[in-house]
Amino acid sequence: MPGELHALVGPSGSGKTTALRTIAGLSNAQTGKIECDGSIWFEANEIQGITTALSPAQRSCGFLFQQYALFPHLSALENVCIPLYNSVAALSDRKSLAQEWLDRMGIGELSDRMPHQLSGGQQQRVALARALARSPKILLLDEPFSAIDAPTRQSLYKTLAQIRKDLNIPILLVTHDLREADLLADRITVIDQGVGLQTAPPKVLFERPRNSRVAELVGINNKFEGVFTAGKLSWNGCQRIFNVVDKGKIPPDTPVAWVIPADGLSLEITKSPTSIEVVVDHVSAIGQIAVIQLRTIEGHHTVVWEASAAEVKRLSIEASKVFHLEIDSSKIHIMPLRQINDPRRFIAFEGAA
Amino acid sequence: MDIDALLLSLKLALWTLALILPFGIWVAHALQGMSKGRSWIEAALALPLVLPPTVLGYYLLVGFGGKSIFGIPLVFSFTGILIASLIVNLPFAIQPIQRAFEAIHPEIREAAQVSGLSQWQTFRLIELPLAWRGITSAAVLTFAHTLGEFGVVLMVGGAIPGETKTVSIAIYDKVQSFDTSGAGMLSLVLLGTSLIAITLSYGVFGRQTNRARNLERRV
Repeated sequence: MPGELHALVGPSGSGKTTALRTIAGLSNAQTGKIECDGSIWFEANEIQGITTALSPAQRSCGFLFQQYALFPHLSALENVCIPLYNSVAALSDRKSLAQEWLDRMGIGELSDRMPHQLSGGQQQRVALARALARSPKILLLDEPFSAIDAPTRQSLYKTLAQIRKDLNIPILLVTHDLREADLLADRITVIDQGVGLQTAPPKVLFERPRNSRVAELVGINNKFEGVFTAGKLSWNGCQRIFNVVDKGKIPPDTPVAWVIPADGLSLEITKSPTSIEVVVDHVSAIGQIAVIQLRTIEGHHTVVWEASAAEVKRLSIEASKVFHLEIDSSKIHIMPLRQINDPRRFIAFEGAA
Repeated sequence: MDIDALLLSLKLALWTLALILPFGIWVAHALQGMSKGRSWIEAALALPLVLPPTVLGYYLLVGFGGKSIFGIPLVFSFTGILIASLIVNLPFAIQPIQRAFEAIHPEIREAAQVSGLSQWQTFRLIELPLAWRGITSAAVLTFAHTLGEFGVVLMVGGAIPGETKTVSIAIYDKVQSFDTSGAGMLSLVLLGTSLIAITLSYGVFGRQTNRARNLERRV
C-alpha cells in the first residue's frame, strides 16, 4: 500500500533478501507475478515460463543495500547524480536535484566527499539519497541499519520516518531485528524457508502469532502446549484450566500451542485461587532489567519472566525461592500445534507493492 | 645505435597496445558473466604464458604459410609479427583487466542497474573507471613485454631490418657479431624503457585511481 512500511522478518536463509532482489529484478523467480502501481514487472507460470521480466533499470525501484554499495570512484553528489543520468533534465538541474536530496538527508555539505571519506551513517544517507533520487515507485531496504552503530541508527530511523511522510510510496524493509521491525513497520511478514507464514501489524503478530513456528520466529519465550475444548484450555501436566476465547475454529480436544505475552504474567509472594506455584531457577540481571527463569512445581514447565530491578528487589527474588505466578488468561493466545502449510510463496504478499 | 630497430619495436608495441587493449577489455568483461566453458577459454588465453616462444612461433609460421591479409604476406612481415605479438600478449593484456573486473563487488553493478543505468552505461560509467588500474597494468605489461619479445618474433619475422628486426633481435645480432658496445647500448635503452613503464604503472597510475573521475564529471 502506498506509504506503508512493510517489514520482512525471518531467520537467515529464509528468503527475505531473495524476495527483495526478485522485486528489484536482480533475481528472477520461477513462477509468480510482481505488479507495482498498475504495471507488471514480472510474470511467470509453470506452463509458459517467464512471460514478462523488466530489467532492474526499467523497474523504478529504489534499493538500499546493506553495505551501501556506493560507487567508490564518485563523490557523494556524483553518486546521487547517477540515477538521474538518463533524465532529460540539463546537467546543472540534475546536479541541483542531487544536491537537494543530499540536503534532505542532512549531508548537503559533504557532497564533494568521496565515499571512503564518509562514516557508515553518512554513506548510508548518500545511498538513501541515491535510492530516492529517481523518484522510485517503491523503496526496498535490505537490512540497511545492520552495519551502523546504535546512535546513528536512531537518527536514520528519524530520517526514514520523515521520508515516509514526504513520499507516498510503499517501503519494504528486510530485517532480522524484530525490535526494529516492531518500531518501524506498519505490517510485518514473517518468512521461513521462502514461505510467508503470517502478515500482520506488529502488535497482532507478537500477541497473536498464527502458529507455533511464527511464535518461535518472533521470539516469544513463553510457548506451551495444552488441550483446548470449548473455551477451556488445560495446560499439559498441570491441573490449572484457563478460560480462553477463540473464534470457534478449533474443534474439541485439540492439542494446541499457546503463548502468553510478557504483560500477561505477574509474580506474587502470596497464594491466590488462580495462581500457580513456581520456583525460581535462575535470575540474570541485564542493566535495569532482570530475566527470571521460573519452573512450575506442577508439570515442571519453564516460564521466562522479565522484571525491573525494582520489582526484583521488592519481591526479593532469588534462586530456589518459591513464588505464585498469575497468568492473565485473557491474554493467552492459542494456535494449532501442526504447522499451517501456507501455500503463499513469498512473492504473494508483495502485492502490497 | 640501431635506431631503426628501436623505432620498429616501439611501433610494434604501440600497435599491439592499440589493438589488444580494447579486445582485452571486451574479453575480460565478457568472461565475468560466463559460467559454461569459462575455464576452457581462460586456459586457452593463458596458453601463451606457458608455451615456449619457439613452439608458438613454429605453429604461427606453419599456420601463416603463404597466406596474406589485404595482399600483405604474413610471414617475414610487420603484419605477421604484429599478429604474433597480439597472440603472445593475450594473457598479459587480459588477466590484469579480468582481475580488476572481478574485484568490483557485485553489489556495485547491481546498484548501477537499480539506479536505471543500462548495461553499456554501467560498463562505461562504473566498471571501466573502477577497472582502470587493471587496464593500466595490462597496458604496461603488454608494452614492456612486446619490446622484449624475441623468440616468436624471430620465428615468424626473421630479422629483416626496418620490417621485422626488433630491438631484441638487434641485440642478439650485435652480440653474435661481437658488437658488445652496440648490444649494451640497446639493452640499456630497453632496460630504461621497461623501468619507466613499470614505474609509471606502480607509481603515477597506481595513485591516480580516479583517472576516470574526469569522465565522471559529465554525469
